[in-house]
Amino acid sequence: MADALLETKLLRPRTRRDTVPRTRLVGLLARAAQALVTVVSAPAGFGKTTLVETWLRTVDGPVAWVSLDGGDRRLTSFLPYVLTAIDRAVPGAASSARVLWGSGQAPVDSVLTGVVNELSVYDGDLTLVLDDYHLADGPDVAGAMAFLADHLPPQLHLVLSTRSDPALPLARLRARGELVEIRAADLRFDADEVSTYLNDLHDLALPADAVAALGSRTEGWVAALQLAVLSLRDRPDAARFIDRFTGDDRFVVDYLVEEVLRRQPEDVRRFLLDTSVLERLTAPLCAALTDDPGGARAMLDRLERDNLFVVPLDEHRRWFRYHHLFAEVLRAHLHQERPDDVADLHQRASRWFAQEGPVEEAVRHALAAGDPTTAADLAERAIPDLRRERREDVIRRWVDELPAEVVRERPVLAVGLIGGLVASNDLVRVEERLKAVEELLTRPPSDLIVAQPEELASVPARVEMYRAALALTAGDPAAAIHHAHRSRGLAPAGDDLSVAAASGLAGLASWATGDLVRAHESYVVCAAGLERAGYVADVLGCSLTIADLELALGRLGDADRTLRRALDLARRQGRDGEVLRGTADMLVALSRTAWHRDDLTAAAELLREADDLGESAGLPQQPYRWRVAMARLRAAEGDWSAAIELLDDAERVYVGDLSPPVHPVHATRARVLAASGDVGGARAWAREHGLGVGDDLTYLREYEHVTLARVLLAEHRAGGRQGVLAEVVALLDRLLEAAQAGGRGCSVIEIEALRALGHHAVGADERALDALEHAVDLAEPDGWVRYLLDPDLGDLLEALARRRPNRGLVARLVQRRAHGIRPSGVRSAAPDALPDPLSERELDVLRLLGSDLGGPAIARELFVSLNTVRTHTKHIYTKLGVNNRRAAISRAHQLGLLTRGR
Amino acid sequence: MSTAHGPDQVEIRVQGHLDERWTSWFDGLTVELEADGVTCLRGRVADQAALHGLLGRLRDLGIPLLSVAVVPPPPQQSGTEGTQP
Repeated sequence: MADALLETKLLRPRTRRDTVPRTRLVGLLARAAQALVTVVSAPAGFGKTTLVETWLRTVDGPVAWVSLDGGDRRLTSFLPYVLTAIDRAVPGAASSARVLWGSGQAPVDSVLTGVVNELSVYDGDLTLVLDDYHLADGPDVAGAMAFLADHLPPQLHLVLSTRSDPALPLARLRARGELVEIRAADLRFDADEVSTYLNDLHDLALPADAVAALGSRTEGWVAALQLAVLSLRDRPDAARFIDRFTGDDRFVVDYLVEEVLRRQPEDVRRFLLDTSVLERLTAPLCAALTDDPGGARAMLDRLERDNLFVVPLDEHRRWFRYHHLFAEVLRAHLHQERPDDVADLHQRASRWFAQEGPVEEAVRHALAAGDPTTAADLAERAIPDLRRERREDVIRRWVDELPAEVVRERPVLAVGLIGGLVASNDLVRVEERLKAVEELLTRPPSDLIVAQPEELASVPARVEMYRAALALTAGDPAAAIHHAHRSRGLAPAGDDLSVAAASGLAGLASWATGDLVRAHESYVVCAAGLERAGYVADVLGCSLTIADLELALGRLGDADRTLRRALDLARRQGRDGEVLRGTADMLVALSRTAWHRDDLTAAAELLREADDLGESAGLPQQPYRWRVAMARLRAAEGDWSAAIELLDDAERVYVGDLSPPVHPVHATRARVLAASGDVGGARAWAREHGLGVGDDLTYLREYEHVTLARVLLAEHRAGGRQGVLAEVVALLDRLLEAAQAGGRGCSVIEIEALRALGHHAVGADERALDALEHAVDLAEPDGWVRYLLDPDLGDLLEALARRRPNRGLVARLVQRRAHGIRPSGVRSAAPDALPDPLSERELDVLRLLGSDLGGPAIARELFVSLNTVRTHTKHIYTKLGVNNRRAAISRAHQLGLLTRGR
Repeated sequence: MSTAHGPDQVEIRVQGHLDERWTSWFDGLTVELEADGVTCLRGRVADQAALHGLLGRLRDLGIPLLSVAVVPPPPQQSGTEGTQP
């Protein structure tokens, strides 16, 4: 049912049969085709939608249409609809943006920038129509739209159809000649158009003076003219009617609707009034309201045939709505004639929607029926499923719509609503609400109202869990852990979700303080709980974190197993070949463990597989993770420039999640610089980030400090300052101590290998061997060779081999060196493997597609026209088999296309 | 808008006579017909949000708005609640 609603919002309305060609407006519309923004602003019933829809049929290029409603005042509702519409019209243009928005970590502006950048290289023109924009025009949405209007690419044409002028910087657009306005004065029918409408289109055969009188009385308002037609059809006394009508002071619409209603047979009239309470009509729903199961379908067809203001909403003509104006007046009639029936009709509608869904409509109608109790019960029962489906935007809306009195007595509902607030980061009065719930729980059970008794036992645990979340956001991990543990203790048996949620929060808090062992424990509990509760997608995300922690703790084999188990789960879960989001992330994580084992072939294969799965298989962080993993691969092959390119790109596409940023890309980049011999660049990095050998050491900056050690060693190798070595060794000693204290096995291996190099460089070979031996001991069980491949370790490895013959790993490493085995050519395809290779010009454009530059800026960089850029982009996409910039860059990295000829 | 003295009185004038039936649609405002086809909707609104809600519904009807006047009520005795539909 929710899908059906989505479809009705995105469907372009079908053109009415009775339209008068607005030749007068052709000139205006032609300018609209060129303009960036077109605003059609006029009251209801002036023919805005009809005009826009008719005009669009003559427009080249795809059209994205969104029919907005009151729920779209919040960005959480508005943006997904708009992005979906854009992505359907131009596939690929908004796919990254949708994922980014869904991550909840990206600000609106960067989400919109992504779409703008995609469209700015699109070889075509997209028209985005927002119908009934006045319904969405709140401060949130206006801010986003203003940003969009300021950054509109030439390929995007915005059309807003509205009853109030939008809160956009119209004056500025107007001054720049980028705005076309079509207003009521333009839309009113003139005398000729009135005549065409009444006599040519509707065959009323009215004399000229009658036509003139009607035109003047209605002032060219087409809705009024439509009503006039309905009043005049088959009326023998047309002249008398017109006389009376024109001599009357009544509000035109009011007069005419009454007239139209009076002329209807009783059954039609009753049907119209009964169903006027509905926003959207379908036969079974109408039947529920009118107590006439058989007749509803026939009635709707009849209304449509008779042109009685019923508008189809979908292609199958199952859903309709009344024209807004008509519905307003019908409702007023209903309220006056049968006020006692209004609540009953809403109740019936509520019951029908409660059965058939969507539940939002059921709640809305219950509230309109003046029955907040039923509304509250419905909401309470619906919340668990809405949470599972990530529809927290609906829950958030209920916070505003459900009256405080009903929430006050319902602990389960209250805590559910708190969840909606927390999910939308609306934390201001959450603590108050939590206290209120706790107070409620101290009352005798008979005082409480609970629609879902099985959820009541979980309430105390949930309260503590939300407190943990608040503490975490406030930067108090100790408090977060405390509340999380209390939550786990309070959770009833079988409440896997509460246990999982609390454990996840505790894990995050522990991780932030550097307690990896406890963090790991907590996350394992979290994943198990999520799996039992059936939240598979979240299990994937959790498993990624668990693997990260296992790696950090020095348990490479465990990390592998965790990832493979999760990958299996993901694959089993997908129905009909659907790939679960997060699958690609698993593959990238596995490629990292392969890299740690120096199995570069496997690593490359996994990255290729991840890329092939496409955008829908990746969590929001996936583009970033993939690029970093690919960069490491290229660095291992000695392709430094490709690695740098990828890391720069990774930084551009970075979006955070909640986990602490312990491997910042800028540090990884410095490592590549150091390894490639660009010592100056690496040193500059250290300066830029204020890193020094005497720094206090923290877990969060460990990676950076180890990187600093590498940089300094590289500097020494390149013939840098003497005396630095003693400092480096001292730093490494301190780092080792900290890493060992924290149980961070991965860091210990790396640091020991670096200590070996450091001691070796100052001639302390015994100590060097000890350090190396320690590293080898730790690395051997899992084959963790990554940190032992430094060429400068060669002599030491041989010495170690002599000291400890038959040490498997050492012997292998020595052999490897002796045979000159170097990783080579692990690219999965040579650059020329494309069936249709990219030309030089196309490569130039491709490189710039990886930047933040929009189409016009790229054109300027290359001294070509925007059209040229657009054409090249289209060809690039085709040749690479992608439909957006980000995927093009991933594919290019995959094929090694970006580093030739630099 | 309304504070210690209770809700304010509004007078909204629109172009076109409205039938009495619109009273219940407009939350109990009275409908008074004036000369030149002008209707005056008069009554109490709870606050600004309610006023904007009303104006929105008038907009949705397409009925031309002529004027909106807000008249604060005379100060009342303390302790009197001024709640009004």
